[in-house]
Amino acid sequence: MAAFIFLFVFGFLWYGTLMRGAHEEVQALFRTKPDFPWLILGHIVMAFFFTTLCVRFVPAGGLGASATLGILVGLVYAGPHLISFAVQPLTTKILCGWIVGAVIQFAIAGAIVGAIYKPAHPRPVRS
Amino acid sequence: MKRFIIAFIAAYIFMFLWGWLLNGVLLKDVYAETPNLWRSQSEMMRLFHWIIIGQALVIFAFVMIYACGFAGGGAAAGIRLGILLEIAAIGMRLAIYAVQPFPGKLIVYGSVSGLIEMVIVGAIVGAIYKPASARTS
Repeated sequence: MAAFIFLFVFGFLWYGTLMRGAHEEVQALFRTKPDFPWLILGHIVMAFFFTTLCVRFVPAGGLGASATLGILVGLVYAGPHLISFAVQPLTTKILCGWIVGAVIQFAIAGAIVGAIYKPAHPRPVRS
Repeated sequence: MKRFIIAFIAAYIFMFLWGWLLNGVLLKDVYAETPNLWRSQSEMMRLFHWIIIGQALVIFAFVMIYACGFAGGGAAAGIRLGILLEIAAIGMRLAIYAVQPFPGKLIVYGSVSGLIEMVIVGAIVGAIYKPASARTS
């Protein structure tokens, strides 16, 4: 829930507000109004599977390790942005904004999941 | 480190060939339905290095995630990682579909092929990359 709320609010602020001017430079590539049901469903799917990945990657929880995973996941999704830039008439400003946005968004989402998630039965610490 | 590099190269070669087969051959007609959304062929060729860098970045980050959190699990762990990453990516694709006027079938084809691609990438990386402790034991 927390990851979904953060991803959605960050997306609205970063892509929908801060980058609005950059997107308007290539209006033909974007819908006049976002299709909200798909936008919400997409963020739910992203948040759920990103959280599952964090839990598998850092079973003990922890802010630092989950944020590191978030940065790596952000890079996995930055790759397709570079490919999109090569095949779609996007501007360099949009490319940079999308890449920086993806890395920051998933790093913070990872930190949030790491800070909140605690395993049900933490493993005993060896003395 | 050697295994990391071999896994990276093998997965990268697969991704490059898969991307070419899918986007350059199989889906060519689907892309042709929305020419206003794409660069011209000559422009794409001029910017082709960004495709190479983008694919390399995806594979590098994938192998890093596998090496840091899933190593030792073999091909099955690699496949699991690929599925998790790709389903999250399908979520991102849906969010992009919400703001960009792509044909719906392009999102469906892209998601199905993306899932197959990441399953195979995961299997390749998981089969090749072994942590140092697993190799010495």
